[in-house]
Amino acid sequence: MNPILQIENLDKVYPDGTVALSNINFSVYPGEFVVVIGPSGAGKSTLLRCMNRLIEPTNGNVIFKDKKINQASARQVKQIRREIGMVFQNFNLIDRLTVLNNVLHGRLGYTNTIKGSLGIFSKKDIAEAEEILDRVGLKKQKYKRADELSGGQMQRVGISRALAQRPRLILADEPIASLDPASSKNIMDHIYNICTEDKITAIVNLHQVEVAIKYATRIIGIQNGEVIFDGQPSQLTDRIIDEIYHNRKPPLVHAQ
Amino acid sequence: MLNKWKRVIALEGTKDIRRHKRLQTMLIILLVIGLTVWSAIGTDFSVYEVFSGVGLISNFLFLDLLPPDVTTSGSLLGAILETLYMGFVGMVVGALIALILSFLAAGTTTPHPIIQVVVRAFTSIIRNIPGLIWALILVASYGIGVTVGTLSLILGSVGFLTRVFADTLEEIDTGKIEALNATGSSYLQVLAQGVFPQFIPGFVAWSLYNLELNIRASTIIGMVGGGGIGFAIQKGIKLFQYKEVSMAIILVLVLILSTEFLTSKIRERII
Repeated sequence: MNPILQIENLDKVYPDGTVALSNINFSVYPGEFVVVIGPSGAGKSTLLRCMNRLIEPTNGNVIFKDKKINQASARQVKQIRREIGMVFQNFNLIDRLTVLNNVLHGRLGYTNTIKGSLGIFSKKDIAEAEEILDRVGLKKQKYKRADELSGGQMQRVGISRALAQRPRLILADEPIASLDPASSKNIMDHIYNICTEDKITAIVNLHQVEVAIKYATRIIGIQNGEVIFDGQPSQLTDRIIDEIYHNRKPPLVHAQ
Repeated sequence: MLNKWKRVIALEGTKDIRRHKRLQTMLIILLVIGLTVWSAIGTDFSVYEVFSGVGLISNFLFLDLLPPDVTTSGSLLGAILETLYMGFVGMVVGALIALILSFLAAGTTTPHPIIQVVVRAFTSIIRNIPGLIWALILVASYGIGVTVGTLSLILGSVGFLTRVFADTLEEIDTGKIEALNATGSSYLQVLAQGVFPQFIPGFVAWSLYNLELNIRASTIIGMVGGGGIGFAIQKGIKLFQYKEVSMAIILVLVLILSTEFLTSKIRERII
C-alpha cells in the first residue's frame, strides 16, 4: 500500500532563528489514526501546518498522494488543500455567519470564485452540508449564528466544515484543548468514528497521553522539533512518556 | 542558602527598578511644566487679558447674537439640509472608496507588501491635509458651492476611513483566515467569506462616526466656500446679521446632536 503522506527530512527554522522542526521523517498510510504527542512548543502545530503548507517548510519534502506540496504552485496547493480537512483548537468558525454557512465553507475550494465569494452554493452542496450536520447532531442548529453555540458544538461545526471537503486526510490541531472533559470525549469519538467509517486518514495533535493511547493506531512523540518515538500505543512505555514530556531541564522553581 | 541569596539579590533589583521609575515620572512632569511655561511666554499668554475679554464676549453674546432671529429659520433650513447632504454623501462615497483601499492597505489582506506601502503613503498624504485646505484648493477650480464641500469631505473621509478600516482589518482573527485557506479557498473567497463578516461591525461603526465628523467639518468647510450652513454663517457675520448667525448656530447644534443620537442608536442595533 502506498503512503498517503510522506514527510522527508523536514526542517523548519523561523526567521528569528527558532528551530521548530529538525529532520522529521515518517510516512502515513491510508486508514491510520496517527496521534502526535509532545509538550507545548515541541513543534506539533508547525508540523501539522507544514503538511498543508499553511507554514512554509525550510527544507525537506511533504508528499501527499505522490505530489510534492512544498514544490507545488499556489494553484496546485489550493487543489491539494481541498483534499485535506483541518480542525483547529479554537474552532476558527466565522462567528457572524450561520452554522450551515460555516460548513459550506468546506466547499469553497470546489466552488467558482465569484459564487463562493457571494456565498452561493449548489443545491447538492447544501444538501450534503445538512446531511453532515445531521450526522454530528446539529441539524436543529443549522440556522443559528456560529457564536451562539457552545464550545463542543462549535468544534462539531469545525469537523463538519472539514468533512464538507470530502477529504482523504484530516489534520486536527489540539481539537479538544479548549473543551471540558465531556465535550472532549464527544469530539474525539466523532473524529474517530467518522474517520473510521469514511476511511479518512487522520493526524491529530494532542497533549493528553491517555486520550492518545485510547484512540491512536499509531503514536508519534515529538520533543524539541524531533521525533523521539514512533510506534504502536502499546509500545509507549512510562519511561518514553517521561522522556517526551520531561526534557531533563532543571525545574523552574526549586523547593526549599 | 544559595536560594536565599538569590532572593535578596532579586529584591535589590526591584528597588532599583522602582527608583528608576520614580525618576522617569519626575522627569516627564518637569518636561511638561517646562514646555507649558515656554509656550506661554512664546505666545504672550496672560491671565489678565483672558479676564478683560470676558466683558466684551458677554456684550457680544447678549446684545448682538441673542436673541436668535427665529423668522430666518425657514431660509436657513435649506442651508442646513445642504450641510447634511454633504456630510452624508461624503461618508457614503468615502466609505466605499476606503473599503477597497483598506483591503489593499492592511497587512492581513493586502495582495502584496509594496501595494500596502503605496496605498498607506497615498492615504496618509490625503489624511494629513485638513479638509479646510482641500476646500480652499478646490474652490479655486470649482468655485464656491456644495460641490467643493462634498469633494473635500469625500477626500477627508477616504483618508480617515482607510486608516481606521485598515487597522480594524489588521485586528481580525487570523486563525479564521487560516481555516478558510486550509479548505483550498481562493484569495477573493477568503476575503469575502472570512474577512468581511468579521469586518462588518467595525465598518458600520466607523462609517457612522465619520458621518458625525463630516457634519461638524462641513460647517467649517462651508465657511471657506463649501456651501451649506457654514457659508450662511460666514455671510451673516460679514453682513453683521448676528441674530441670523445665532439662529444658524443653534440649528448646527441641533443637527450635530441629533446625528450623534441617531448614529449611536443605529450602532447599537447593528452591532
